[in-house]
Amino acid sequence: MEGDTLAHLLYGLQIALSPVNLFYAFLGCLVGTLIGVLPGIGPAGGMALLIPLTYGKEPASAIILLAGIYYGAMYGGSTTSILLNVPGEAASVVTTLDGYQMARKGLAGPALSIAAIGSFIAGTIGVLLLMLLGPPLARAALKFGPAETFALMVFGLSMVTSLAGKSLRRGLVSTLLGLMMATVGTDLPTGIIRFTFGIPKLMEGFDVVVVAIGLFAVSEILSCAEEMGKEGFKAAPLGRIWLSARDFIQSLGAIMRGTVLGFFIGVLPGAAHVTASFLSYTVEKRLSRNPERFGKGEIRGVAAPESANNSAACGALIPLLTLGLPASAVTAVLYGALLMVGVRPSPFLFQKHPDVAWGLIGSMYVGNIMLLILNLPLVGLWVKILRTPARWLFPMVLAVSFVGVYSVNNAPLDLLLATILGVLGYFMRKLDYPLAPVILGLVLGDLLEQALRQTLMISGGSLLPLVKSPICLVLFALAGVVMVAPRFIYKKGVKLEIES
Amino acid sequence: MKVGAERIGAILATLVGAGYFYEAVAMPDVSIGDPLGPRLFPMLLGLFMTLLGGSLALKPAEGEESSFGLSPRSWGLVLLLGLYGYAIPMGGYPLCTFLFLAVGSRLLGERSWLRCLGISAIMSALIFLLFTKVLDIPLPVGFLAFSGG
Repeated sequence: MEGDTLAHLLYGLQIALSPVNLFYAFLGCLVGTLIGVLPGIGPAGGMALLIPLTYGKEPASAIILLAGIYYGAMYGGSTTSILLNVPGEAASVVTTLDGYQMARKGLAGPALSIAAIGSFIAGTIGVLLLMLLGPPLARAALKFGPAETFALMVFGLSMVTSLAGKSLRRGLVSTLLGLMMATVGTDLPTGIIRFTFGIPKLMEGFDVVVVAIGLFAVSEILSCAEEMGKEGFKAAPLGRIWLSARDFIQSLGAIMRGTVLGFFIGVLPGAAHVTASFLSYTVEKRLSRNPERFGKGEIRGVAAPESANNSAACGALIPLLTLGLPASAVTAVLYGALLMVGVRPSPFLFQKHPDVAWGLIGSMYVGNIMLLILNLPLVGLWVKILRTPARWLFPMVLAVSFVGVYSVNNAPLDLLLATILGVLGYFMRKLDYPLAPVILGLVLGDLLEQALRQTLMISGGSLLPLVKSPICLVLFALAGVVMVAPRFIYKKGVKLEIES
Repeated sequence: MKVGAERIGAILATLVGAGYFYEAVAMPDVSIGDPLGPRLFPMLLGLFMTLLGGSLALKPAEGEESSFGLSPRSWGLVLLLGLYGYAIPMGGYPLCTFLFLAVGSRLLGERSWLRCLGISAIMSALIFLLFTKVLDIPLPVGFLAFSGG
């Protein structure tokens, strides 16, 4: 068993270390860090708009590139949080609390260092866990029939719906919208054309990448254009870069706790990085003998959430790689990208496309080292880029995102679609309708419907298989619990102790 | 007003749900050994959406106050983006991007026309060349194709 994993890992490293893939990992990390650094472009939108970079590449190279962007963004988000008090992405919001305070005390360097080192340790342990847990889980999932698959997807969607927003009903509207979008186009089993309103282009349905760019990237820019200031951002001075041994030893416990917590939260559909970073911060504050130091430049308040969001990024890959179930907006985009290069994520991924699965794992080890080396020397560069005035940055991001949209199908209509979805996303943000469930509904809708239809086809129309299988029952029960529990807990007044 | 905007959103969701439900019911009922058929799943979705939207319209969900309204600047950007998307197939990516960047940055507050035109020209050329020459992603050139652009 273990020898097996080792052989696979060596195979994965061999793929990851080929010069071409090494270059893609590097490119991904670099671009990802840039996306993480730039406020206004989150990892999901950023990945979607860079999908054209993967065209014509080997599937393994494509996913190595995209995964690099993904965890690069997780690293990069901390930079702006610490230096500017501006979180580059949502998972870095808590990092601003102590990170920026450290920077104001002239400790920006140590804060950045501990964020990078914590991310490195967490990322590396996260991949290790992914490697050890992934294949057995995938083997277990192979036994799933259509009924279990259906139940699993119901569970996944419930998690995302419940955790994505503040209101359950608004979350459900978002999920339903995504599921409805998924039904647009030709119904494969019967060949019936559904909900195309006479637009031939829609016969193939909505493209995940086009929707992701419109809904995430375009709407993000529209929101930011609303709030933007006149000039670029002003950074706190960097100070000394190196971390003292004492700082490191002080933070090690926080890093390890953040890593483990983050990973397992990341595995859960819907929770992922944001919850992971918030929760690990809260845990550190609770455990600390001097909780009053938190929020005033406590190094553990930077180490824990930054570690947690990186290991959560690894954890979030587990449902995708083992069950073929994207469980967050980012992994939904990865799912769409894999489909475009001809790989359908499923429990068979480790068997059918070992180059993709193991190449990805191998490249994540490599990527983590790359990011550690890249991160600190490039801080100066990122700060310079952030001085780009928003009035130039935003139109340029939109222009690049249109390249992404256009290159999916070379279809002019997609450009208009992305614009419309951008406006829709903007209003949804403003009205507090979460966006992640839309993209997940879109990705899972078809699978969900087919699983249900197959179940009923096998049973001759009876819904019994859905309640006869113990796995189904457990999953449905869990789905019910996750829908109800958060509201109950909130009502009891147990909230994350984050002062804004 | 805040509640007003929320209600409008909820009513829109209801209408989308109802329209979708209507379309689903109107679909031909074909099933090939498949008890569910292509209609039922969408009908359920439409029904849920209508009910949820209706419930949100009657009793908006509690949440933080969200005051908003797209500013003229953002509407301008949306309009510009729509025009940009519409024009790309005809005008080609480089020219349209040049115009989009110039007008867009102006819209977002760039004051100097000289900088506007200069930076837009350089950036549109750079983005175009990066994607087409370095990354091998074909982009429409529109009528510039005749002049060898």
